[in-house]
Amino acid sequence: MNEFVVALGWFGLYAPVALGAIGSAWGCALGGSAAIGAMLDSEGGYGRFIGVSLMPSSQVIYGIVIMFSLQQSSIDAANGAALFGIGVLSGFTMLFTGIRQGEVLASAIHASKAKPEIFGISLAPAAVLEGFSVFALVFALVLAGSIPS
Amino acid sequence: MSQPHQYIALVTSLPDLGKLFTRKSVPISEFRLKQRMSMLEAEHTGLLQELVEITAWAGVAKYDQDLEVIRRANQVVNDLKDYPDLQHLVGTRMETRTLIAALRRRRDGQETAGDIASWGYGRWCGRIKANWSDPAFGLGHFMPWISDAHRFLQAGDHIGMERLTLTQVFRQLDHFGALHEFDFEAVAIYVLRWVIVERWSRYNEDDARDRLATLVEAALGNGSPSGIDPAVTEFPTDNSFAFEGATS
Repeated sequence: MNEFVVALGWFGLYAPVALGAIGSAWGCALGGSAAIGAMLDSEGGYGRFIGVSLMPSSQVIYGIVIMFSLQQSSIDAANGAALFGIGVLSGFTMLFTGIRQGEVLASAIHASKAKPEIFGISLAPAAVLEGFSVFALVFALVLAGSIPS
Repeated sequence: MSQPHQYIALVTSLPDLGKLFTRKSVPISEFRLKQRMSMLEAEHTGLLQELVEITAWAGVAKYDQDLEVIRRANQVVNDLKDYPDLQHLVGTRMETRTLIAALRRRRDGQETAGDIASWGYGRWCGRIKANWSDPAFGLGHFMPWISDAHRFLQAGDHIGMERLTLTQVFRQLDHFGALHEFDFEAVAIYVLRWVIVERWSRYNEDDARDRLATLVEAALGNGSPSGIDPAVTEFPTDNSFAFEGATS
């Protein structure tokens, strides 16, 4: 049983990085595809399309920060379950927000191409999703401080 | 590029068509549009051609009989089995055509709907037959445009009729377009919109009036209208490029 909890602990430790990387890759691919398409139909402003399409890359960075905060001198039965719970749940948050952020960025790029004046405001939903990722990051850090080492 | 990403890039590469009747030219040329459509998968290219063929006048003009058009529409609906919204779109368009055909038949003096199954399509055939004498075929309470179309036809206002028909078709496309953003349906609806905008952009109201007057004169008198090539007085029948042609 102890070995199983230790395995879960390791799983939870790496989950934020792995799931965050998947979320970032997926989100950047969605946003990047929209940016590439928009560049075909635009005379300028390529930088801003590519720039916003990279917004979902923050999820993997948050995942790395969470992983370091969860890192313990040893993973055992006392802390394995906590590492698993915090790591996996925060990882799934990064995965989900990364994908969804990519989708709303694709929509924002598409809409702002037709109506350039809404470019700034169209990024608001993506910023809100970023806020949710930051919540998950901050509270993962808070809880990481109370894990028995 | 995987399919969802491919369609995101394709949709965002297409310029906004804007509102109907507001543009004097299409924002993307036929050549460029065809070039962009090369990003479609082979299966989708075929489906798009079928869809445009059945919804554009140029596509159905080659059929001599209404029954052939109905048969072709049923075939296209069947081929679009994986895309229910496009199936509904074809059905709605065919129903609109049926209503306009009924209005024209009535204006031309037909006293009953006759064998409506041989020229009509969709849900409203029974209503049209049962309410033949009603200006809007008993459908005016939820399709008020039919009464307007009846008035335009009675007044011989062909431009008003064309405008009304294109507006209706554009609304149908807007309705289905709102359900799709980055997929094959979104691309197909964009192309159908483009066909309408392109068609309208080719119109010049004054020229159209002059041409109509010349045609009427020629029809009442004898011979070919002066200054008009007989080849261009017919509806386009060349379907080599299926994006071309009317939509009513």
